[in-house]
Amino acid sequence: MELSMEQRCLLWLSSAEIPASRAASLIAAFGSAQTLWERYQTSDCPRIVPKSKQVLDDLYSDQKMSALIRQLDEKHVRLLFADDPSYPPLLREIKDPPYLLYYAGHLDCLKKPCVAIVGTRTPSDYGRHMAKSLAAGLCNAGVTVVSGLAKGIDYAAHTGALSVQGCTAGILGSGINHPYPSEHTPLLRQIAHSKGVVISEYPLDAAPMPFHFPHRNRIISGCCVGIIFVEGRIKSGGMHTVTAALDQGREVFAVPGQTGYIGAEGPLAIIREGARLVTSAEDILEDLALSPLMPAKAPPKQHPDLSDLQQRIIHALQIQPANIDELSVSLSVSPQDIMTEISIMEITGLIHREAGNNFSLSHQ
Amino acid sequence: MLTKSITCGLDGVRGYPVSVEAYVSNGMVAFDIVGLPSAAVKESRDRVRAAMINSGYEFPFGKVTVNLAPADVRKEGTSFELAVAVALISGKSSKPFQNLNSTMLLGELSLEGRLLPIRGALGMAITAVENGIQCLILPCENAKEVACIDGLQVYPAETLKQVCEHLTGEKHLQKQETLSFVDLQTTRPIRYDMREVKGQAMARAALEVAAAGGHNLLMVGVPGSGKTMLARCLPGILPPLSYEEALETTLIHSASGELPADSSLMTERPFRSPHHNTSMAAMIGGGAKARPGEVSLAHNGVLFLDELPEFQRNTLEALRQPIEDGFVSITRVSGQNQYPSRSMLVAGMNPCPCGNYGSKRKNCTCSASDIKRYLGRISGPLLDRLDIQVEMDAVTVEEIETSSLQEDSLTIRKRVIAARKRQLKRYHGTSIYCNAQLDQQGLEHWCHMEPTAKTLLMQAVDRFDMSMRAYARVRKVAMTIADLQEHDRITMQDMAKAIQFRNVDGRYWK
Repeated sequence: MELSMEQRCLLWLSSAEIPASRAASLIAAFGSAQTLWERYQTSDCPRIVPKSKQVLDDLYSDQKMSALIRQLDEKHVRLLFADDPSYPPLLREIKDPPYLLYYAGHLDCLKKPCVAIVGTRTPSDYGRHMAKSLAAGLCNAGVTVVSGLAKGIDYAAHTGALSVQGCTAGILGSGINHPYPSEHTPLLRQIAHSKGVVISEYPLDAAPMPFHFPHRNRIISGCCVGIIFVEGRIKSGGMHTVTAALDQGREVFAVPGQTGYIGAEGPLAIIREGARLVTSAEDILEDLALSPLMPAKAPPKQHPDLSDLQQRIIHALQIQPANIDELSVSLSVSPQDIMTEISIMEITGLIHREAGNNFSLSHQ
Repeated sequence: MLTKSITCGLDGVRGYPVSVEAYVSNGMVAFDIVGLPSAAVKESRDRVRAAMINSGYEFPFGKVTVNLAPADVRKEGTSFELAVAVALISGKSSKPFQNLNSTMLLGELSLEGRLLPIRGALGMAITAVENGIQCLILPCENAKEVACIDGLQVYPAETLKQVCEHLTGEKHLQKQETLSFVDLQTTRPIRYDMREVKGQAMARAALEVAAAGGHNLLMVGVPGSGKTMLARCLPGILPPLSYEEALETTLIHSASGELPADSSLMTERPFRSPHHNTSMAAMIGGGAKARPGEVSLAHNGVLFLDELPEFQRNTLEALRQPIEDGFVSITRVSGQNQYPSRSMLVAGMNPCPCGNYGSKRKNCTCSASDIKRYLGRISGPLLDRLDIQVEMDAVTVEEIETSSLQEDSLTIRKRVIAARKRQLKRYHGTSIYCNAQLDQQGLEHWCHMEPTAKTLLMQAVDRFDMSMRAYARVRKVAMTIADLQEHDRITMQDMAKAIQFRNVDGRYWK
């Protein structure tokens, strides 16, 4: 990887995790990053935390910088500077755009319209299903789905996009070598090797610090035209991304949940405040004036080959998930018979067992 | 002058006959006990002397030596004291002591000359019969315990004086009447009845199947979902103890001093619920003298481990072998002991540290990594030994108020007994006595499914990504369900139910 002197100096700053706003004021004070490098030892740089200062000192040699660049090359991690033509134009418009992004995968997907899907790490089955099907629907219409590579809704959104061979971008709150949670390393690889891209503002080996995540959220909303809040509480990371999106003037969508369910708190609150309510991917495509490439919605599934009792169970579960005791009372059938039918239906994939032995209809 | 009497020592749960020889010679006044006595046995010198004097006998003047033969086995406990005192008294007595060589004397002495109860009386009584001894004199508190043994005349006594008068023929002791085991089994009401368990159809069914096939059971549920209540009901739905089982179980309880005074053979299956801070030695058995542990005390009964992840890991891992083999071997410097441990393991646990994961009514506050760490404390090999796994949610107050009375334990027990009988018949001539004990070859030989059941199982294996072990477990459980339904081959309905009891680990341990 060939870098100009100015770019090498920006990489130097980025390696020390100098935040975008701080870097901007330093560059403004010195004229350019290169001047900062040249005068680093003679003049003192104000307001740099000792930890960053240490890294700046350590890396202050041409050999060390070259070694760092070689390391990036070996890992196939590439750099995207703010002046690069492929830098997402929407992201450039936000208040403190990152001056350097590390990425792996295909940057082209950010040229398409991007929509973010965010939400809780502990979603309900419904939330997971919505995230997945919205992601698949958006991808089918040629939209790139952006999310944060976390557990729960993020995971559902990425896998939903991958399931239809769509484009998806994952934005990390840590270094690309150090994803959080670490179990998602295979997902990361899958995204980078398919049509997607994995992006981070932080140097290769940066640990996932709690304060990174709110900061990362501005990039998620920054590169998108709109964001969808699927599930989450009022005080949550998803809510933070919503606030960031509103600051940046992005469109905000919310998936309605059941009132009283704690995970629906956040989306319902922002719907009351004027967020767009979303029931399907078409709603978003329509609101964002993106043409859908999808066929019309399939009619609700019919199961003519089921026994009478199975039909009744499906009917009961359409109202809400239930356990065997509740089904037995509401259908006035012995628990033993319910158990048998439930088992057969579970094996055929019609229903699905959740924690606590509650059964719900599968969303397949 | 040399006198002799017979008593018994305790090694593990079994006794060994000890012959007491007392010799009084001229010389310096002394009282010595030889024959590897432990500290408690040495101390008994003072008790024996005081008891003799306070009962109105004279303590021999001179050098007194008491030998406990065999002399190379270490003597523990206090059961020898009566025999030592009688041997000493018989030497000075004006009236001859009769039948001393065919009477076993057991008992600890108090200073005033009363007989105090001992540990392991049942094991010692069996030893007496095996060694051709006809009479047994022992403290009143231990009398009922040995009253079921055939071919032994049991004389309970209260004081040393009574024993001596009986042996000289002055005043005979009242003979203990033999209690037949059938009489003991008079139907006592079941303490924890399934009738009182509200809701929880799935867990009730799981308990019944577990009882019928001897399967180990894991209950995962929010606090207050009734895990402990259900576990306590299990002894009540298991078949009643047979005479042999009662004997084995009482032996262990008697040897470890767990048997209450004045109790006869145990007729109820033991229910042991050790606290989760139980050490490995207390669970498996051990200590310097290799005493039986909780797993053996639960022999022929139920070992209930509540809050399974809170147990120390080594304690749980050590349980694997006793559960599998049905016995524990404990080896110490002082010797090796083997205790039976054929109990049903029932484990209860919360789904997560806060306890509410998966509950419909409360919210879980644990992070995903908290839950993972919590569940990670239970190893896969241990889980593999828990054939039936069920999840439970709490029952609300309204459900408790409105639900009608459920089926009672006696009705369930009848079905369980019938299912066990089918199994005993099927496995006649093998060492297997219930479905839970089947191994891979046994399954191939005895597990017959209808084609529809097989198809369903194959689909389930595919759908739920079952491991080989999970597959074997489901088949074993299906066999028990078929036994309960009196089906010769596993039907599709049986199989479907068995699949509901499969491992929770699909969601929890991945």
